[in-house]
Amino acid sequence: MSYDPIIHIDEQLCTGCRRCAAVCPVDAIIGEPGHPQTIDAHRCVVCGQCVQICTAYAADNESTLASRAVKLQERGQLPNVHEPLFAAYSSGDIQKVKAVLADPKRFKVVQCAPAIRVSLAEEFGLPFGTLTPGKMAAALRRLKFDRIYDTNFAADVTIMEEGSELIGRVMSGERLPMFTSCCPAWVKHAETAAPELLNHLSSCKSPMQMGGALFKTYGAELDGIAPADIFSVAVMPCTCKKFECSREEMNVEGCREVDLVITTRELASLIKDQGIDFIHLPEEPFDSPLGKYSGAGSIFGVTGGVMEAAIRTGYELITHEQIPNLQLDFVRGEEGIRTAEVQIGDLELKVAVVAGLKYVDAVLAKVGEGTCPYHFIEVMACPEGCVSGGGQPKLLLETQRKCAYQARKSAVYRHDSHQKVRKSHENPDIIKLYKDFLGEPLGDTSHHLLHTKFVDRSVKEEMS
Amino acid sequence: MNRFVIADPDKCIGCHTCEVACVVAHAGNNMFLEGECGGDFYPRLTVVETDEVTAPVQCRHCEDAPCANVCPNGSITSRDNSIFINQDSCIGCKTCMLVCPYGAISMVPAYKSGQKQHQSGLHSNSSGAWSRKERIVANKCDLCEDSGHGPECVRVCPTNALQLIVPSQIEDSISGKRLASAQSLQQFGGFSRL
Repeated sequence: MSYDPIIHIDEQLCTGCRRCAAVCPVDAIIGEPGHPQTIDAHRCVVCGQCVQICTAYAADNESTLASRAVKLQERGQLPNVHEPLFAAYSSGDIQKVKAVLADPKRFKVVQCAPAIRVSLAEEFGLPFGTLTPGKMAAALRRLKFDRIYDTNFAADVTIMEEGSELIGRVMSGERLPMFTSCCPAWVKHAETAAPELLNHLSSCKSPMQMGGALFKTYGAELDGIAPADIFSVAVMPCTCKKFECSREEMNVEGCREVDLVITTRELASLIKDQGIDFIHLPEEPFDSPLGKYSGAGSIFGVTGGVMEAAIRTGYELITHEQIPNLQLDFVRGEEGIRTAEVQIGDLELKVAVVAGLKYVDAVLAKVGEGTCPYHFIEVMACPEGCVSGGGQPKLLLETQRKCAYQARKSAVYRHDSHQKVRKSHENPDIIKLYKDFLGEPLGDTSHHLLHTKFVDRSVKEEMS
Repeated sequence: MNRFVIADPDKCIGCHTCEVACVVAHAGNNMFLEGECGGDFYPRLTVVETDEVTAPVQCRHCEDAPCANVCPNGSITSRDNSIFINQDSCIGCKTCMLVCPYGAISMVPAYKSGQKQHQSGLHSNSSGAWSRKERIVANKCDLCEDSGHGPECVRVCPTNALQLIVPSQIEDSISGKRLASAQSLQQFGGFSRL
């Protein structure tokens, strides 16, 4: 099978400065200093950090270059994109999304990851970390999506499934530690570098894929639409989500769970292309019931967020008591590894949070040796979680990077603290979803729709 | 003496970060906004790459500045120890660009508050119909004077290949060299006239 490697380096533009190689967590960028670099697609985890750091761009007076319009077409960008073309880029899908939105026969459903609402506004000149869930929903409605659903809702579902799985595995002592499986770059790395440890990953699909599966089943039933007529788009801060949605096993009733993934930057370019005045849009709600979320669902966008959300729910499922403090500062933080011990009834749960894929190999080695002391490990490939993802608004200067990440993280936590419901299992629409459709977490329907298997990718295959 | 920025080609890796930083410093965080700089992207320094050398080149802020000497309407002056182009009064005659021995000056569309500026009188049919012609002005390094933080290119260079030379520092450095030079003479003390 051949596929688009998604991350590319334009050899006409690359100057060989190798700053991308310095941020690549898996040493997938190959080349001599001063010469155009290439990407080893087998190693590459499609995280897009190279796309974020690249500053080598097309000067308009270089006659040897293919024209700008040709390059935009190659990159799948809209012709109205007003910015320099950088050497490292990710394949775009926004032209395809634009074409589908113009088709009145399709029922268009969209979901946005937690990290989009804290960064999208930056593309329209607002300060770093401006929180705009309402304007984002309003913009998507004006782009003619029929349902504005949300990945945050699906993140609440993930917590129900993954939390239950964790409790089961901790109680039985089976396949510990358990790793999170929300981050597709981490999953691809595990499949490539440590296939013998894949049974340590949670069998849960990512929130995006869970959302996709539910929109074409539960959502289709609610709207009385055939799953095949639904076109499902996901807006992600992540370039690897494009890879994840194209994985063969991610299908439901013969349909792709998520048909196309676009990045934060691609959504912004479409909003501009359609002449929508984003800054002056009213605040509008998401659509019910697959768009209502708890604070726990919204913190998936930062490092430590999945862990925090899982502990909020796991604590109460195990002890049947209210968790004394909802703000778990010990899992919050920056790039690197954080560890903690959490007392849950009689259980001392040992957890670790890995922020940045380059830190995970040491952990994997310990798991391989059987000396890793933790029960539950969250891994996010990007340095501070999805807020720092490869599809997020590009930060041109290193001097801006820290403060942008900080502002986006604070916005995520502020959004959580302002929610009335802050625990996934207390989200009324989650309770209803299980009552009406799924039954129990880890039940038959969940197993069929929301869980997956991983693939050994240690053998290099042919790339297109 | 004027201040200026200069690059060390041995340290430069050709990453163009200085150029990007230059545009951001002069456009703010809004540079990706439509109409702000658009596909147009006009850094005030230019990274040159050949087989022999890689380095950004920029205005040397010459003491007897050829550009200022030839400017027909006094738009180029020496301001706060730097050579400054007043883009509001520049008529786009291009003479400064021709005489600059460093190739540091280029002609660019004039922007104000993110909008391209147009001339009040002259019309052009270059877009297919007659419309007011855009203003084109001379552009070069201004040492990021308006930001108040000094040159952004110097701050962002990942290999510290750029430095701002300021007169007091150069004096210190020269007096240090003179001192070292005098000390090195010591070992020759008392030698006879040759």
